[in-house]
Amino acid sequence: MKANKRRSRVLGPLVVVALILAACGGDSGDTTTTAGEATTTAAEATTTVAAETTTSAAAETTTSAAAGGEAVEITAGDSITATFLPKCTNIAVFPQANSGAEEAAAELGSDPAEFVGPADCGDATGQIEFMTNAVTQGVQAIMLSNNSGDQLDAPAQAAADAGIPVVTWDSPIPSATGESVFVAQVDFDETGQVMAEMARTILGDDGGEFAILSAGPDSANQNAWIAAMEEVLATPEFENLVLVETVYGNDVAEDSVTAALGLADSHPDLELIMAPTTVGIVAAAQAMTQEGLCETIKVSGLGLPEEMAPYVESGCAPEFALWSFVDLGYLAYYVAYGIATEQIVAEEGTTFIAGRMGEYEITADPTRDAGLRVLMGPFSKYNAENPGT
Amino acid sequence: MTESAVAEAAPKSTRFLRPERVKEATLLAIIAVSVLVFAFLIEGYLSGRFFNRVTTSVVVVTLLAAAQALVIFSRNIDLSVGSIVGVAAYLTGDFLAATGQGPITAVLVAIVVGAVLGSVNGLLVAYGGVPAIIVTLGTLALFRTLLSIYSEGANVLAGDLPSWVLEFNNVTLFTIAGFQVRLVFLIAVFVVVGLQFALARLRWGRRIYAIGSNPSAAAQAGLPTASLVFWSFVGSGALAGLAGFMFLARAGTISATAGAGLELESVAAAVVGGVSILGGSGTMVGAFLGAVFIDTLKLSLVRVPEVSEFWRDAFLGILILAAVILDTVLRNRFNRRWSAEARKAMESTGPSAVGMARMAGGGGGTADA
Amino acid sequence: MREWAAKHRWESILIVVLAATIVVNVSLSPFYLGFGNFVNLFWLSIEKIIVVIVMTFVIINGEIDLSVASVMGFSAAVMATLYEGGEMAFVLAIVIGIVAGALAGLLQGLVITRFGLPSLVVTLAGLIGFRGAARVLLEDRSVGDFPEWFERIGQQTLFGPFPVALVLFFVGLALAWIILERSAFGRKVYVIGNSADVARFSGIEVDSVKMRLFVASGTVAGLAGVLFAARVGAVQGTLGETYELDIITMVLLGGVSIFGGSGSMLGVVLALFTVLNIRNGLGLANIDGITQTGVIGLLLIGSVLVPNLARRYRLRRPAPEAMAHGPP
Repeated sequence: MKANKRRSRVLGPLVVVALILAACGGDSGDTTTTAGEATTTAAEATTTVAAETTTSAAAETTTSAAAGGEAVEITAGDSITATFLPKCTNIAVFPQANSGAEEAAAELGSDPAEFVGPADCGDATGQIEFMTNAVTQGVQAIMLSNNSGDQLDAPAQAAADAGIPVVTWDSPIPSATGESVFVAQVDFDETGQVMAEMARTILGDDGGEFAILSAGPDSANQNAWIAAMEEVLATPEFENLVLVETVYGNDVAEDSVTAALGLADSHPDLELIMAPTTVGIVAAAQAMTQEGLCETIKVSGLGLPEEMAPYVESGCAPEFALWSFVDLGYLAYYVAYGIATEQIVAEEGTTFIAGRMGEYEITADPTRDAGLRVLMGPFSKYNAENPGT
Repeated sequence: MTESAVAEAAPKSTRFLRPERVKEATLLAIIAVSVLVFAFLIEGYLSGRFFNRVTTSVVVVTLLAAAQALVIFSRNIDLSVGSIVGVAAYLTGDFLAATGQGPITAVLVAIVVGAVLGSVNGLLVAYGGVPAIIVTLGTLALFRTLLSIYSEGANVLAGDLPSWVLEFNNVTLFTIAGFQVRLVFLIAVFVVVGLQFALARLRWGRRIYAIGSNPSAAAQAGLPTASLVFWSFVGSGALAGLAGFMFLARAGTISATAGAGLELESVAAAVVGGVSILGGSGTMVGAFLGAVFIDTLKLSLVRVPEVSEFWRDAFLGILILAAVILDTVLRNRFNRRWSAEARKAMESTGPSAVGMARMAGGGGGTADA
Repeated sequence: MREWAAKHRWESILIVVLAATIVVNVSLSPFYLGFGNFVNLFWLSIEKIIVVIVMTFVIINGEIDLSVASVMGFSAAVMATLYEGGEMAFVLAIVIGIVAGALAGLLQGLVITRFGLPSLVVTLAGLIGFRGAARVLLEDRSVGDFPEWFERIGQQTLFGPFPVALVLFFVGLALAWIILERSAFGRKVYVIGNSADVARFSGIEVDSVKMRLFVASGTVAGLAGVLFAARVGAVQGTLGETYELDIITMVLLGGVSIFGGSGSMLGVVLALFTVLNIRNGLGLANIDGITQTGVIGLLLIGSVLVPNLARRYRLRRPAPEAMAHGPP
């Protein structure tokens, strides 16, 4: 929520303008749709530019939207039936995302979406089952965080064929088959940038050795972030940062602790473990704490503030980052609701206002060959001054 | 058949070169050799630091291997230990977050939680007549489901726990030349040695082995098989509960999936440690060595850059297979030699434990009540 | 009818449970009764239920194969790796993938029969090892973009509304039923399961039967892995992970004794219908995955416990013989 305050300060005036414009466009579903379509061509040109320069895409989206002007405010209407399908139900961030979706549903006067999913985050067939069931049930929207690669193509296409919008969030369908739009938490390239910057902050200007503790070797999100980070590291600005090894903890606490300690033992000069996974970062921090290694090896990456609090306090994890999963769920619900109630159309250039979060634009997804994207952002960095709890 | 005749089936402490000792010595030698190989492969491997790593990380698996061995001895199996670890870790964490109590209370809570869950298994196996593999396959899922419902997706947060929990694994009793002897390791060793002694020396322990060697003979001999099996499951659950506490201290943050998959690791540790899946034979020390071996491999393979992340499972599978094949070859050697002796010694006491175990081998080596 | 029920007590109980499940499902969800859902119900678990058929043989024979899910992953990984290489005709890659599954079964069968090791341990090693092999082959890649005809096998229908895999399942089921309950080989499987020693004394080539079953188990698992790839259109090293639990649960719920020697194909088929219907019903009622698994776990225990207790009270005996208390 802290992240949001900062954001709303920027967006505030824009939202007011947009609200007025949207109101002029009329408030019934049909008219607003036309209004949304009208903005398409105007926004398209700026979109491509925004997509090219990736580092602070969030800010540029706002600029281009302001240029396009007429954003559709998604307003309360009919109640819709929907399925909110996370990678799995058992990792803390997903219930958080669902609480955001519930908040949005309440604002929009809709029944909350059904929060169902497999027990295991690697269970692609479980997701296929829930997707297929949702189609059978004839829900009006599906919000999906894809836990595999292309395995969801067929059921997502089946949903699309049945006229059900599939809004992905957190993790998209790579080929975009059957997908209406992807609500991205942050720009994947920006994640690499932010991680590299945090590493430089912690290691200082003279740099040093660091290692990455990731989830699994198959985790698509993590792999994309690490690849982005490696690209940033190749630039001269970051030449003092030496990435010595990447290891995996499979998002299992025990394995992550083992992997983190293995890093500490293999690399005597190691100064930092960067873990782009909420499970890994807290396990690494705990491993360093109980082995008394916090003085020499710091921990950073993507973590939940409430889980990281004791390690920020002890100085073991001086800085880490994350986006708000509550906001991500909230925004995903707004987008899904908007599409399902035909207030907005899932196509490039559509701009809309999603409740308390303000204005967003649907653009082509620069990180994939196909597909549309709504970029949420921004990152929140957490540290002693801003522990986030 | 009298009880004493049945007890014959249990390992006797009179023979000098018992198969248990040979197995343990073999495993110890294998561990030593692999440590040497790794020392050759990894720079700076042989150090007090690595000893400290293994002795800290092996605690959870050691306790679970002991829990597993306890029920395997009586020809049962407990596939629910991983879920028990999760429930015990979560509930103990929740309890500590709410009350801020000290270590002794926490350990007791964890053990009681584990014992209660173990008693569910025990009741169903011993008094419900349901095979252990079915019961624990079911409770593996069931305990996890209950935990998931209870947790509502929220984690036990390290920040809510009393500060001693996060430091617990680092409590060192004394240090010899960089080799730290840590409290958690000492607890695990104490548990293993205590159980080893109890199983070998107490009547209760010998009876457990007797049931595993030949359940129906044990029942006919008048052993209270049901209550013995019941209590071995309670004991197994209590050990898994203690492991749950250790898991909490190690991980700090506990999710509803904590401990998932540990059941296979515990079975693997026990089996590699020479505990016969057919029941009736094996030792706690063996199970402990099995846990040490697997853990040493895991911790060492992580540090061999040439072995990619992806090779580790394949490697572990091959090793388990090699261990059991070696075990069988050894056992067959000894059996041949001793069956000749045994034939002379006890002509009239009926089929030997070895013979019974072989027959049961056709039954897939699965559990029996 | 009553005679049949007395003779097939377990199957009768399953029929009642299945009927109850269907009634509950119909009342809970208006979407349950539909032909599309009926096909989906099988199709979504098709790989599991194909392996269930062969697992029935293995368990009746007194063995167990914990490695099936890993062999599924391994076969699919072999196929995907060969396809990825691009040199080979895809059909050949499929064949080699399935053969790899057969070899995995052969290897485990050899170790089990040659060394007299319990299959529980050997296939536990296989469970870990073949999963490892699949991950070695594919590492972190997801191999997809298979030829269109291949994905059609998994995703489109063959006869009317039935996908190819489903047709394959029913044909396989019919064959298995005949082999298990009407052929000499089937009788051998039961005899060995009852007592391997008795079987040996009566001249049955125990090891050869076991070998054939493990090879069959590996082959069918391999086939299931390939079908899996066709259905989801992509292969990862984790394909099919933890399926073994569901597969074994269905067989045991079907009344097949874990100690071997007893069980019927009818029971297994009824159990399979029951599990699929329960999962489907719970899914349509928006119950999440972990709770579904718990319900199946409860069902598994209950399926053995309830008849045990019923028998005990009917016979007015303190306990069945197997776990009787000793005399005072």
